[in-house]
Amino acid sequence: MAWVTGLFLVYLLLPIVLLVVGSFGEVWTNTLLPSGITGKWYAAVAGDPSFRRAFLTSLWVTAATAASVTLIGVPLAYALHRARSRWARIGGRVLASLPVAVPPLVLAFGFILVFSSDTLPFLGSGWVLVGGLTALTLPYMVQTLAADMRHLDLETLEQAAASLGAGQRQRFLEIVVPALRHSLAAALAVVCAIAIGEFQLVNLVAGFLNRPYPVVLLQAFYGATGFACAATVVLLALALIMSLATAGTRSGIRAIGASGA
Amino acid sequence: MTASLSLEAMSFRYPGSAAGVAAIDLAVRERELVAVIGPSGCGKSTLIKLIGGFLAPDAGRIGLGGEDVTAAPPARRGLGIVFQSLALFPHLRAWENVAFPLKMRGLGRAERRRAAMEAIERVGLAGLANRRPAQLSGGQQQRVALARALVFKPRALLLDEPLSALDAATRLAMRDEIRRIQQEYGVAALHITHDQEEALSIADRVAVMRAGRIEQIDTPEAIYDRPANRFVAGFVGHANLWDGTVAGSDAVSTAIGTLRTAPQGRAAGARIAVLVRPEHVRIGPGGERDNRFSGAVTRDRFLGAQRRFDFTVAGGTLAGVTATRGAIAAVHVAPEDVTILEPDPTHTN
Repeated sequence: MAWVTGLFLVYLLLPIVLLVVGSFGEVWTNTLLPSGITGKWYAAVAGDPSFRRAFLTSLWVTAATAASVTLIGVPLAYALHRARSRWARIGGRVLASLPVAVPPLVLAFGFILVFSSDTLPFLGSGWVLVGGLTALTLPYMVQTLAADMRHLDLETLEQAAASLGAGQRQRFLEIVVPALRHSLAAALAVVCAIAIGEFQLVNLVAGFLNRPYPVVLLQAFYGATGFACAATVVLLALALIMSLATAGTRSGIRAIGASGA
Repeated sequence: MTASLSLEAMSFRYPGSAAGVAAIDLAVRERELVAVIGPSGCGKSTLIKLIGGFLAPDAGRIGLGGEDVTAAPPARRGLGIVFQSLALFPHLRAWENVAFPLKMRGLGRAERRRAAMEAIERVGLAGLANRRPAQLSGGQQQRVALARALVFKPRALLLDEPLSALDAATRLAMRDEIRRIQQEYGVAALHITHDQEEALSIADRVAVMRAGRIEQIDTPEAIYDRPANRFVAGFVGHANLWDGTVAGSDAVSTAIGTLRTAPQGRAAGARIAVLVRPEHVRIGPGGERDNRFSGAVTRDRFLGAQRRFDFTVAGGTLAGVTATRGAIAAVHVAPEDVTILEPDPTHTN
């Protein structure tokens, strides 16, 4: 078992290692490893206005997606969990998992049809990206939260809170949300990872002025290898920053929950 | 004295099923601990849900401290509930769990911290106030749940099988603790359990439930010595039970023969049930008046201080308990130890 895992890890990590090595390599043509060490590729990526713009676009689009998925997903999962009727629950689950079953490409064409119309001429706006990514990632949030709600036996926790004098609003803000902080953070990490790396949908619906990073990154591979490697490592760094930010969410919620106890 | 907790003619049936509770009358006085026991599915937990306000009764009235709370939401009932799963809030420290009901009542942070710390000390958890529930043992979590349910001076305390998740040794210690703490707070308590020994040992009165109804409410001694019917006799403690008929003013006939009883005024031929507790199956041939049996021991269980044996006689078996260790050739039962009961009641729901 151990050597299978080891082999798999090598398979997984080798491309990343090569990317990092390549990003610092001066020249890399037809050799196993590049020659010379340089930081010029990073300087080039940082100096490229379209990459700078794409970096910032990805940052705010991902942050906005995370916020909207949280604002929609938490109440939705809660409502589904509490739904008395079996059909309401099943319907909600299907609705919430539909975007996983529907390829992003189909979603994108739908977006193009709807948002290029005269009544909704928003195609190309950054908010269409946020909307699309929210639809794509919402199921992960809802499923993760729903599983945790069952696991925590949230219903009994709420009954306990109610018997101790908490109203509906207090139960939601002081018990439900803080108790879900671990699964919320885990779900947000997945949501951010998908939102940062998503290509199919954003490539089709992004406007020229707000192309996210992966869309611009594709063009890097038409140029120098070192530049492409550096640009890709920046995307990895971006993903890392976002997952650190979600870890921050968890301690943030804990702090809020504890501050008034 | 008015009852702290009273249930009057309360009924509830789960929609689309026959399960529920029917015609429950129960009053718990201040400082009193009433245990409710019964087999699983008898409606014990439904009772807690109804009193807690998580289910609404179809009929009847629930009173707390003289106030009718039948229609009040859970948050307004002022009940301290210890749930079967304890339901401690996983993200809050022990003292924060205990302070939660005080926070809901609008107390300031310093004041509720002081009150929570005091309650934590009273349940014997001083020094562990800053732990989260996951960092506490089962018995410690139990104490936190108790402190949380009592810190706001509830009108009554409900305990829903709180000890069922604990190991045997902790369970024994905790049941005495529950009694001590309940008495210290002087609160009326309703303790739901399926463990009859737990009920007998800590309750002032015991209610025995079956199929949604209360079969008998009385002191532990009365429930044991004078069970209302065959079901109660069989459920509480060990029992030898036979169906039988009245054979005379001081005799009943059963599968193991005609037994002499204390004089009783039942009509000959009436259907009855007969109870003999194992401790009343005495070893030796007995006297002239006793019911005397010869036979052989077919099962013998040595339990240390005690020894439980099955003594097989013509027509059946007598289960007995004794401290002696020698061979047993004969047993006898005194007439006054043969208890006559109503036959098993059959409810027409």
